[in-house]
Amino acid sequence: MKRLLLGLMLASPALLWAQGSQVNTQSQKAVGMSGAGSALFIDEASIFYSPGALSKMDHNAISVGASGVMYRSAFRELNSNDVHNTKFKITPPFSAFAAFGPKNSWWKAGIGVYTPFGGSVNWGTEWPGRYELNHLELRAIFIQPTLSFKITENFGIGGGFVYNIGQVDLSRSLPLTGADGQMAQAQLTGTGTGMGFNVGVHYHLENEFAVSLSYRSKVVTKLRDGDAEFTVPPALASSFPNTTFDSELPLPASFNVGLAFPVGEKVDIAADATIIGYDIYKELVFDYRDNTPVLEDTRQVKKYENAFSGKVGVNYKTTDHLTLRAGAGYVYSPVRGPYVSPETPDNNRVMGSVGFTYDINDRWDLTGAYVFQHLLERTVTSAGTGLSGTYKTNIHAPGIMLTYKW
Amino acid sequence: MVKTMKKVFNYTWINIGLLALAFSSCKPEIDSFEARPGEADFSKYIAIGNSLTAGFADGGLYLEGQQVAFPNLIAEQMRQAGGGQFRSPFFSEEQRNGSGYLQLTALVNGQPQTANVTSSLGYRAPGRLTKFTDEVENLGVPGMRLDLAFIPEFGSLNMYYERLLPDADVNTKAYFDFVSNRNHTFFSFWLGNNDVLGYASNGGYTDPQNPTTALTSVATFSALYNRFINTLTEGDKKGVVATIPTVTSVPFFTTVTTARLEAGVSASTNGQFTRIFISTAAGPRAATSEDLFTLTFPTDTLGKTRNGIPGYGLSPLNPLEDKLALDRDEIVEITERVNAFNEIIKTTAANKNLAVADAQAFLNNVKNPGIIYNGVGINASFITGNAFSLDGVHLTPMGNALIANLFIDAINNKYGSRLPKVDATKYRGVKFP
Repeated sequence: MKRLLLGLMLASPALLWAQGSQVNTQSQKAVGMSGAGSALFIDEASIFYSPGALSKMDHNAISVGASGVMYRSAFRELNSNDVHNTKFKITPPFSAFAAFGPKNSWWKAGIGVYTPFGGSVNWGTEWPGRYELNHLELRAIFIQPTLSFKITENFGIGGGFVYNIGQVDLSRSLPLTGADGQMAQAQLTGTGTGMGFNVGVHYHLENEFAVSLSYRSKVVTKLRDGDAEFTVPPALASSFPNTTFDSELPLPASFNVGLAFPVGEKVDIAADATIIGYDIYKELVFDYRDNTPVLEDTRQVKKYENAFSGKVGVNYKTTDHLTLRAGAGYVYSPVRGPYVSPETPDNNRVMGSVGFTYDINDRWDLTGAYVFQHLLERTVTSAGTGLSGTYKTNIHAPGIMLTYKW
Repeated sequence: MVKTMKKVFNYTWINIGLLALAFSSCKPEIDSFEARPGEADFSKYIAIGNSLTAGFADGGLYLEGQQVAFPNLIAEQMRQAGGGQFRSPFFSEEQRNGSGYLQLTALVNGQPQTANVTSSLGYRAPGRLTKFTDEVENLGVPGMRLDLAFIPEFGSLNMYYERLLPDADVNTKAYFDFVSNRNHTFFSFWLGNNDVLGYASNGGYTDPQNPTTALTSVATFSALYNRFINTLTEGDKKGVVATIPTVTSVPFFTTVTTARLEAGVSASTNGQFTRIFISTAAGPRAATSEDLFTLTFPTDTLGKTRNGIPGYGLSPLNPLEDKLALDRDEIVEITERVNAFNEIIKTTAANKNLAVADAQAFLNNVKNPGIIYNGVGINASFITGNAFSLDGVHLTPMGNALIANLFIDAINNKYGSRLPKVDATKYRGVKFP
């Protein structure tokens, strides 16, 4: 008898490198307005939201903030009664910004460290999509030194260089069972780097209307020599050698327009619209260093489309010390039905938020915000795996930020 | 500072209030699937059939296989739609390995090595399994045929059937009578496979001494099938019947191919012999890719001296005996017979308003082009195809789950029921060492 090749299908693992993972929690002020406010807020977080506005800061500041993102998805397979929930986990995207330069000067410098993409989803090993994903943790840390200049009193431009460190950790079950009944598993972990830039302009009329345009480039993150480990029955160990893999994850570019205008003595309204260039995410390839007849490189089709989001918020200065905020937004998903996957069971989403800033004194500010996002229920059949069912997702993200000014 | 902190605290408190509000929708809720029986009544479901119904796998009947037999998986889903208890003649935990079965012990250069499990067996005497005569709803008997279901003496020939019979009924009670009068409200019926498989796995050769190698005639099949179904549907009882798979869709017949045997012969004789010769009704001839060999083909007899002539199977003067090969004419005969049986099954089902699980169409699809189920490749390849167990005919737990879903689909479509589907990813394929 000829050698029997183990023609096991190793469907390609996929990543949460999707819109669902884009968590814009860089400034809790913006979070309180569902992401609006790039034209309104002129502070150290402008490094991220509007580099052109940074030069208009009349002081120096450092802020540190973090959110507790709770990403909760549920899935029910078509014609099944079992609803599966992702395990409860809080992921902490953080951000730190520092802006410094001579006071009332024509320029300002700054540096930002933030996590614009990331997430954690854990479906466990006991759900119908186990051969697609068990768990995924992902974080992209952007480091962005920035310079901003005032061309006129009302017009600022700025730009920064982005260096990205991306980390990924994912696992999925393999349809192989050992003598003890234990199911096999693949685990991929890796770190990659990428580069990009962030540029923007900011224009305002005295105490009135303000506009911000900014462009954040794509950041293609290249993972090199990530670890691929396979827990398989001993007889199959040679078919699934522990090896390394290379992959490439394109983080999309985005173009943002922000507007802000006062509607009263103490009230401002801000609106932001963002186009996200997700159509660069066409496929996800995993290139294993050691291939065997059953462990081949994988190529997963993504075919994302460009996404769009619109956000609007209101900022209300109640007293000298306290500002309250609220906002709402809508995001169009870049993911088409057949390409929805459990890493990020994405769909169009609505969001609402509240927030506050309390000026403790001249030096210290405390900002808090809470955003709730609801991904509309979506029933899909995966083009890759055939998994068919209904996803529904809620995201809760309370956050807090402390600012020191001088 | 204390005062300001208190203020902060107050506003934080407001925010926490908002948070609590939002957290009420913290966990996303998906509308549940409402199971219902539709026109059917699942309160007493009985399963009639052969080894597939019994949960036979890996060449044996053992507890783990019994527990995941497709009728048991269906019964579990029925429980959400008014189903009652469903009992099976499970082997005890001490005798969990039942008749014994094959397990994979190693892969040597990708070639599977198997061995029989010989511990914790369920025999009371050689060839006699420990009795189980309590009331059961899973009435599957490995080896049961439609024709032999009407022969009372089959009770002493088949150890799996003998096991279920009180001593007084052995030799006197036919399977048909054994399963009738059980006050069922719903039934599944999947018999007929062995009426062709027994003949096919014996190389299309009927051993006059062995009734399980006979090929049941169309007339007999039609008469007995109708008689059986008429009895089961008395009082307009509802049920589901299944078609008989094409013999060539299972790895038992597709793994050892002519090409593989020829390659082995060429290699071991340094090219002196390159062909395999078989006996057919029209005399000996060289085997082609259209002829099939079984998974249990005794490779080590090839080229040996047999009846004083060397080179067994390697020349037209010393061809393999008829029963070792299923030649293309026999395949045509068997395929036509399967199709004729399936016509009878479908016609009978239509007349009696029964659901039809088309196992033939499903397994043909598994063979070619294969299916992808929730990311798992399912096909008819031996061991790696996930659907068939180590005997190449019977199902793995995952295969049972997929067949259960086939039956559930058929029932739901016929009777407007809503039985939930089985999550087949919970169930394994072949166990690897």
